[in-house]
Amino acid sequence: MINSNALPESALPKGVRDFLPLKAAKVEYLQQQLQQVMAAWGFRPVITPQLEFFDQLEKGLGGDLHARAFRFDDRQSGRLLAFPPDITPQIARIAATRMRELPLPLRLSYSGKVLRHTEEQAGKNREIFQVGVELIGLGQPEADAEMIAMAIECLQGSGAKDFTLDIGQVEFFRGVMDGLSLSSDLARRVAGAIGRKDSTELRALLDEAGVDEAAREEVLALPRLFGGREVLERAAKLVKNQRSQRALDNLTQVLALLDRHGIAEYVTFDLGELRGLDYHTGITFQGFLPGYGQAVCSGGRYDGLMANYGNPAPATGFTFDLLNLLFALDRALEDQVKPRTDLLVYACEGAVLRAQQLTPRLRAAGFSAARDMLDRSIDEALAYARLMNYRRLLVVPVGEAALRLVNPSSENEDSLTLEELLQRKEL
Amino acid sequence: MSDWITFALPKGRILEDSMELFAQIGITCPEMSEKSRKLVFENPELKLRFMAVRATDVPTYVEYGCADIGVVGKDTLLEQGKDLYEPVDMKFGYCRLVVAEPKDLQAEDNPLNWSNIRVATKYPNVTERYFAEKGIQVELIKLYGSIELAPLVGLSERIVDLVSTGGTLKANGMVEVDTIAEITSRLIVNRASLKTKHQRIGKIIAALEKVVGDEVRISE
Repeated sequence: MINSNALPESALPKGVRDFLPLKAAKVEYLQQQLQQVMAAWGFRPVITPQLEFFDQLEKGLGGDLHARAFRFDDRQSGRLLAFPPDITPQIARIAATRMRELPLPLRLSYSGKVLRHTEEQAGKNREIFQVGVELIGLGQPEADAEMIAMAIECLQGSGAKDFTLDIGQVEFFRGVMDGLSLSSDLARRVAGAIGRKDSTELRALLDEAGVDEAAREEVLALPRLFGGREVLERAAKLVKNQRSQRALDNLTQVLALLDRHGIAEYVTFDLGELRGLDYHTGITFQGFLPGYGQAVCSGGRYDGLMANYGNPAPATGFTFDLLNLLFALDRALEDQVKPRTDLLVYACEGAVLRAQQLTPRLRAAGFSAARDMLDRSIDEALAYARLMNYRRLLVVPVGEAALRLVNPSSENEDSLTLEELLQRKEL
Repeated sequence: MSDWITFALPKGRILEDSMELFAQIGITCPEMSEKSRKLVFENPELKLRFMAVRATDVPTYVEYGCADIGVVGKDTLLEQGKDLYEPVDMKFGYCRLVVAEPKDLQAEDNPLNWSNIRVATKYPNVTERYFAEKGIQVELIKLYGSIELAPLVGLSERIVDLVSTGGTLKANGMVEVDTIAEITSRLIVNRASLKTKHQRIGKIIAALEKVVGDEVRISE
């Protein structure tokens, strides 16, 4: 029963979490899987700081992230500091300044936590685990295809069976909008309606603006230009303006490359997808798993970003939201990832010295092993081993007597010498 | 299960109107017409599942992906501001979200002079945004029903509520001052579902657009 007079003091602010061993093991597993793929494609990790000057950081923050950074005064410098709400601007700053003498392209990866303000809604994370890459200095379609192919490989590597990588191209939208010359407020509302795929609202806004028939048809098509590769053909028949046509050419080139990688089956297109409209300059993409409402990864091209740090260069990249990926794959990971220790080493009365001597040899042979130091019965030690996910209890008797290897759940046991145990590959 | 399509529909009249419209595009669920207290109905032949839930919970089920598709009033969408696609206006369930006040207050009232007014509503977010855009500071009183009562007993001077025919307002001596939004029921779609099941969902959207009428109608 809740006693409303005595609200318990929360141990943690909303939107951040502790991860206990079972969940933490899954987070680490996913992180390793992603990093493995990134390393295989030649991306080298950089480590970024948890504090930045806000004026530096904000140069590279798009969308609403600007307003969502945790900011405060720095007593040392008198300047405004922030916890990064996104790692990409940090990588851009590093690449444009400290690494500017190095030849392009740069292939960099990162893994870390960022903080973002959220509205006071239950269940929204304020702390986000990001694992991502930036490819700086390449503007070719092959670079866009590389990002998409890598994101797909990351998804496969993390154990996702069924997923979709959804590709957009913000230049297509911009080409269509160029012809309309709307006020900035109306343009924003039109973009909002397209983003929600709300054709009714869109029609009403176009009526309000008095847009001519030809342009109207192009705009009204945007909320429905999603699906398989046939979307590109449908779009090509629809638009006349060069900017949108160039965007379609770019998509077609990237798709051809994905075909060559043999991964086009995972890809869908959505030309009405406008996320990151204010900083993306070309292809954008997001990864979705069925039954999970949010994207697990997102990325795209931002050729304007590096210039904000004084060193213009084309750039593209993507980032995984590790917690979204975890929640989408939680059950699938259940069997794969168990934070289990192989052996709990229990000493019978008088056998403590023997147990202490053989435990390091077990570890040297490749087993994970912890000493049960408490003065308790074998049954108590077994119950503990069962609860704490030890695979076996190793009972060490006095003298030269054989060791007993007990399975805590089935209570089956083997009797064997230390040498026999050390030879074993599998418990 | 991932090739099934799950619908979240609000219990009551909107559910009936929705199923009527869905029937026209071949989406049916015979199990639903049987009298039962079930909350989930299935049509295994067509791989369709339907959940009957509270209207205000529909966006939540769809946002979290427990349902791929939902039908819900635009009022709820405006209030909750969730990250969802809303591709089709179903045109039924028409009503208006309005600001209303007692008739005798209206006689000497000029909205240009409003400041620090008290407003009772089921829609605090929409109401706050509406008045903020007008630069009017309001004290919001969140109620869960019978909003018309508030001015009668002096809880607030004004209310923001849905009206369809206006009968309830009139009966309680209230008049409309302004319309905040015109409301109809919308088809909403989970973001990931639209991408991962684009073939089936794309067809449903295209078919619905063909059968929804041009005229909005009140569902009563």
